[in-house]
Amino acid sequence: MEIKRMASSSSSGLTFKLHPLVIVNISDHYTRVKSQLNPPPLTSTSATVNGVENQQQAPRVYGCVIGVQRGRTVEIFNSFELLYDPSTHSLDRPFLKKKQELYKKVFPHFYILGWYSTGSDAQESDMHIHRALMDINESPLYVLLNPAINPTQKDLPVTIYESELHVIDGIPQLIFVRSSYTIETVEAERISVDHVAHLKPSDGGSAATQLAAHLTGIHSAIKMLNSRIRVLHHYLVGMQKGDIPCENSLLRQVSSLLRRLPAIESEKFQDDFLMEYNDTLLITYLAMFTNCSSTMNELVDKFNTAYDRHSRRGGRTAFI
Amino acid sequence: MDSAIAQKTWELENNILAVEAPNPSSDFIFYYDEVAQAMSLKAKPWGNDPHFFKRVKISALALLKMVIHARSGGTIEVMGLMQGKTGGDAIIVMDAFALPVEGTETRVNAQADAYEYMVDYSQTNKQAGRLENVVGWYHSHPGYGCWLSGIDVSTQMLNQQFQEPFLAVVIDPTRTVSAGKVDIGAFRTYPEGYKPTDDPISEYQTIPLNKIEDFGVHCKQYYALNITYFKSSLDCHLLDLLWNKYWVNTLSSSPLLGNGDYVAGQLSDLGISFLCT
Repeated sequence: MEIKRMASSSSSGLTFKLHPLVIVNISDHYTRVKSQLNPPPLTSTSATVNGVENQQQAPRVYGCVIGVQRGRTVEIFNSFELLYDPSTHSLDRPFLKKKQELYKKVFPHFYILGWYSTGSDAQESDMHIHRALMDINESPLYVLLNPAINPTQKDLPVTIYESELHVIDGIPQLIFVRSSYTIETVEAERISVDHVAHLKPSDGGSAATQLAAHLTGIHSAIKMLNSRIRVLHHYLVGMQKGDIPCENSLLRQVSSLLRRLPAIESEKFQDDFLMEYNDTLLITYLAMFTNCSSTMNELVDKFNTAYDRHSRRGGRTAFI
Repeated sequence: MDSAIAQKTWELENNILAVEAPNPSSDFIFYYDEVAQAMSLKAKPWGNDPHFFKRVKISALALLKMVIHARSGGTIEVMGLMQGKTGGDAIIVMDAFALPVEGTETRVNAQADAYEYMVDYSQTNKQAGRLENVVGWYHSHPGYGCWLSGIDVSTQMLNQQFQEPFLAVVIDPTRTVSAGKVDIGAFRTYPEGYKPTDDPISEYQTIPLNKIEDFGVHCKQYYALNITYFKSSLDCHLLDLLWNKYWVNTLSSSPLLGNGDYVAGQLSDLGISFLCT
């Protein structure tokens, strides 16, 4: 039984942004280590036996997260694996240094922000590792991924912990506090994540399939927006009827949200927007023109081929 | 009922292939069987048949890393290496990493620095549990499509002589972002003097005029492989949950704004080609 000392929310005021690459990285590391420990059965008969045993071997993997800290915003871009030494309960330092050098060469702007591990909850031994990393970064982060696949889960099983000095029973101690985070992405990352998540047709797909795939993506996003707005609406109606007690802070948030629409109203925006709009329409028009003229050209060629014999006999010139 | 029929018709017309949901047994692809790999390296079934490898399977992680790296280079070509293994007539790419080289159009070749980096990185990776070997290289062609230039073809021919099995992958990050789908191509070159028996039908892609000559001269010396992607069951689960936070980005992204320069460039190219014909 381990006593887990954790507070409910962090008070450091830092905002965290997590990139999906980190999540996929950690998941891949875990899957790799797990599959090396549980090799696939060679024959189908032993599959059922191994299947039962495989469930219990869930190894813990460890690694480092790197990124950038600008002011109060901490953005985690990437991660790499580390070796854990179970005898000393700490991470392999020379290995860490080596990897750090290698990554510095390719990504010179990133530096070590903290470490990650897999498991369902933060444990006592983790504080040991956390403290060891404090000489690289005064306030490291601890990213925890829960690899258990739970189909009823709605939220990402990733939590970010910070360490804070709290006084408990008169003794100042370091404990883990949870922090909230947002998912941040660049356009290229979003497209590839979208691509892999829905396994869209990539090459050889006709324009229709790609358009369909793109529209499906937008459709699901709009459906999501719609469902969220419905929830808010339902909540407000309930509050009006008196079923739910009035909560002023939430009402304030909803009203500020409504007041932000429409987003921009200025004249400059209208000008720029119309300019872009006209440009796009022109390009579509140009494409249509080119298409038409090429079809016309084909028609003329076909006509010429079909009526060539007549023109020679009658002395008439060709159509064009 | 109508909507069900409509969906079936649409699926039929567009050749939608249902993808089977990943289950724990599909995670077996992540297992590195050292003995089997060593055996296949010794047997070298690709030695006799230049067209031996027909497919490429890229993992979700490798794709993500490669696209992000390619995009981070902006308009400069970047390159990196891929790690993986072979499986029958397919090359399986499990992971990718970037190389600290600056590529210019004439010099996307690894220098001594990069070799050292490669060796160091592979060693640390093996310790950390990634046992696969380097199985190919990737580089980016920002804005001008996925094909192998003359230099690329000679580099790849050299690679295929000494570092078999080896694969070349090209990514175009600019077209990826503007089209909303990943622009990627995987190629292997034919050995010197080999004439392909059948002419493979390749998908037409627009190539800027200043590069079209380079493309045309060498386009018969290599062939493209079919790319499919795979992900683990945990990846699947995480990506599904990620969608809950992601939909905002999907709605708020606008390909027009991000690629004004690229679109303008394409249009001027088009204008010139109109004048020529």
